[in-house]
Amino acid sequence: MRSYFSDIPKTALQASYWLFVIYLLLPLALMMAISFKDANFVAFPIDKWTLKWYAQVLQDRQFLEACLYSIFIALMTTLFATIVGVWIALLISTEGMIARSVIFALACLPAVVPGLINAISMRIFIRVLDIPTGTGAIILGHTVHAVPFVVIMVLTRLRSMPNNLVDAARDLGADSFVAFMRVTLPYLAPALAGGMVFCVLTSIDDFVRTFFLGGYQTTLPMLIFAKVQGGMSPEINAMATLVLIVTAAIGLYAEHLTRRSRTR
Amino acid sequence: MMVDSSMTETAKASQRAGPSYAGWIGKLVNSPLYAATIGLVANSRMARLGLLLAIPLIWIIGLHIGPIYQMARISVMDNYPPSAEGAVYTLDNYRLFFREPLYFMPFLRSIIFAVCVTATTLIVVYPVAYYVAKVVKPENRTRALLLLLTPFWAGELIRTFSVIMFLANRGAVNVFLREIGLIDRPIILLYNYFSLSFGVIYLISLFMLLPLYSAIEKIPTSLVDAAADLGAGPWQRFRRVILPLSKDGIISGCSLVYLTSIGVFAAPLLLGGPNSTIFPEIIASLFHGSSDKWPEGAAFSMLMLAVSLSTVGLFMRVVGGRSVKLM
Amino acid sequence: MRDFTQTRRSTLKMLAAGTGILAAPSIVRPAMAQSKVVNITTYDKFVPQSFIDQFQKDTGIEVRIRLTDDQGKQYNLLAAEGNAPSTDIVTVTGHRLSQFITSNLLSPLDTGRIGNWNKLAPAYAGAPQLTIDGKTYGVPLLAGFEGLVRNTDYTKASDSWEIMFDEEYKELTSYIVSDFLSIVMRYQGSDGDYVTYEGKDAIAQEATNKARDYLIAQKGQVRKYYDAGSEVQQMFVNEDIYVAQAWSGPAAKLIMDGHPIELSIPKEGTYGFLYSFNVVNNAPNAEAAYTFLNAIMASPEIGAAMTRQSGFASAFAGVDTVLDEKERAAMTLPDEQMQRIQFFSSKNRKMKNDMIDKATAEVKAG
Repeated sequence: MRSYFSDIPKTALQASYWLFVIYLLLPLALMMAISFKDANFVAFPIDKWTLKWYAQVLQDRQFLEACLYSIFIALMTTLFATIVGVWIALLISTEGMIARSVIFALACLPAVVPGLINAISMRIFIRVLDIPTGTGAIILGHTVHAVPFVVIMVLTRLRSMPNNLVDAARDLGADSFVAFMRVTLPYLAPALAGGMVFCVLTSIDDFVRTFFLGGYQTTLPMLIFAKVQGGMSPEINAMATLVLIVTAAIGLYAEHLTRRSRTR
Repeated sequence: MMVDSSMTETAKASQRAGPSYAGWIGKLVNSPLYAATIGLVANSRMARLGLLLAIPLIWIIGLHIGPIYQMARISVMDNYPPSAEGAVYTLDNYRLFFREPLYFMPFLRSIIFAVCVTATTLIVVYPVAYYVAKVVKPENRTRALLLLLTPFWAGELIRTFSVIMFLANRGAVNVFLREIGLIDRPIILLYNYFSLSFGVIYLISLFMLLPLYSAIEKIPTSLVDAAADLGAGPWQRFRRVILPLSKDGIISGCSLVYLTSIGVFAAPLLLGGPNSTIFPEIIASLFHGSSDKWPEGAAFSMLMLAVSLSTVGLFMRVVGGRSVKLM
Repeated sequence: MRDFTQTRRSTLKMLAAGTGILAAPSIVRPAMAQSKVVNITTYDKFVPQSFIDQFQKDTGIEVRIRLTDDQGKQYNLLAAEGNAPSTDIVTVTGHRLSQFITSNLLSPLDTGRIGNWNKLAPAYAGAPQLTIDGKTYGVPLLAGFEGLVRNTDYTKASDSWEIMFDEEYKELTSYIVSDFLSIVMRYQGSDGDYVTYEGKDAIAQEATNKARDYLIAQKGQVRKYYDAGSEVQQMFVNEDIYVAQAWSGPAAKLIMDGHPIELSIPKEGTYGFLYSFNVVNNAPNAEAAYTFLNAIMASPEIGAAMTRQSGFASAFAGVDTVLDEKERAAMTLPDEQMQRIQFFSSKNRKMKNDMIDKATAEVKAG
């Protein structure tokens, strides 16, 4: 393969990547190291090491339940937000649609409002409509917050989609649903993946909306915030480390699977 | 196995009429239920338009505008919860912002801060996104992305604390520098604009990375090669070909980062210093404070909402120019 | 129009209910598994699991805990829920009590329904700061005060708040702006609790402005304004600050853990406050709430658990005997210093809150 990229300072690009990785990972890695510290507050240097925080966290039923509950909410949020987000993006990108910029601005609204304001207004709104608080309300709140991220990601990709792709499919006799499933959706895949990552992340990390909309089941961020209130202890670092290891493992496994299916 | 059976099915179907598809779509399209439901909608222009309109409009009007409407209503009340005699409506809460110079500085600071963070993030993340999308071999791309993505799963609070533990007087950097004998008094890194920017970019750079990656990834390598054939140097190729073609990603990434960074208040609260109070902190303190200031807080959020949305709109128009028809 | 709202309402309801049904039963506990429940919003580990288990077994009342980390959120949640609260008992600090009461969010306590009321430490049984218009609000749990905290390795002892403005500790101090304003007013000879300022707006404003201007002039002393106890703890551990105004609880926890920290009450005095469990107005399970409140007062272990978690002294009698030597030592100050605590009053709160909040914003922006 002939490429002229070689004379673009490739080493500089590579260096920027690795520096950025270090920036992202180093503070976190050190935080993870503190999870092995034998003291009640997080601090440097680490003079005495222990595994007791892990033993404690792994036996903590509340922590495990909170993890499962948070994952469940995040998955539901991702499912609904992706559907609604793609739908809104399609509407905005439709040729000849009136007031597209207004629709776009309104679609972005929940991302702009600070979380606290968003949470309070959502709580009042839900009371006005008589929707009970609890799991359903949390998912609704998270979905509303996640939709703008999907819309923006998908729109970016849709805008550059060659019009003739869908037309070609239609010419071959596909109805619009089939054309959407077979042409548009695959083309959107990278943007969808990105949007889904945002959905899961914003949902699994959300504290304030969950607090206002939730019932009496604890999510992971609620548990961590409540624990921090009593003092920042290495126990919290141990929790974060476990979450990171598990997500990294899932990510690597998924990557391994896609790699295998691609080479087959 | 699966593929085989569906192949024979679609083969049979293609004898009847119309195009044929492999996999579950083929099965779906050929079922009578499909013709009665999705097929009906998919083949009628009016029904399609109706469906396209229905969900987004219900969603946006119901769930995006609904809650904000509640906030807007509170922002013109004199008291919340309203007193027993019923609410009195007033614009005083908005006037307060313009009357008190006290609120203007944090407001301005917020906008300048968000603009600086957005610009810095763009400059820092662009080469990274470019490297992953174009230089890394395709089969290693997912791994390179995963490495960047994983840290974001630790949660905002933990990540904020890890920045604190990194920059504090007895944090990692200072302990390290003292150990190797470079300093004997800690360098002050925490609780100023440096730590604030360091932390906020640390928290939200992903919002820049993914849109940029998705935009750069789809730039055809052949275009860049062609430009090189025509004698364009690296800088020219970047300016004339790569940059314009990744504009969509830049716009999305900047909007996401700007909108997020203008609304953050948890991280600034933990990482900022005595001179870096920003507007969302003021709004939060109006809600969290011990006197009842919901209406003022609501009015200030509405103002912030209007300003941040209109700056993004302006930005899209200026940067996007005519080619972007959205705003 | 009405039809439209109705359908919109039911659509949304279905949407929310639908997502709820999708929840796998193993993950999501049924909302109304037991007819008798009590819902409590409180801090982590305030109510020990062993106590909850025992209580559930004895009474058949299910205890559901919603964890909170801050007073503001708790207030906002109750205010947003209006007359249909989802919680029965909330944990309120003395600073905030008046705000909850003026917004009509709490119901006065019928102490006659609490058989164990006499198990409170005598000092708190009829605590004036929990008595408003002759009615009692809340079961006092913990008592705390705003102390002067310093790192004993790097600072000299001081019997005055002056040390906060000592040139030597430039950029090495920290405080909660709103709390410290009251203390500075006291330091300047004004009434930081505004009790004597009732009806005297001009004098109060002048005193507030004086404290505010002083803090703005002394801004160079400050490393950071903080909000949460965990922040000030971490700043001491990281040696970002040497001196601070802090609530006694977070400081006592550092001392219990063996850090070189001293907590004291300077000669100008300070303010004290109580944490209390309060029954929410229109509480859906008021009956169960009273049963719960009565039960917690029966055992000093609960008081001890709260003390260990928060670092504040318990308001229940007999807790001292359950705590160990180190824990007791961390919370004990000389009597002479304890005399300097003035508990926050419940009078003239609106003036105080308005003026302090305004001045706080000005100090931060100034």
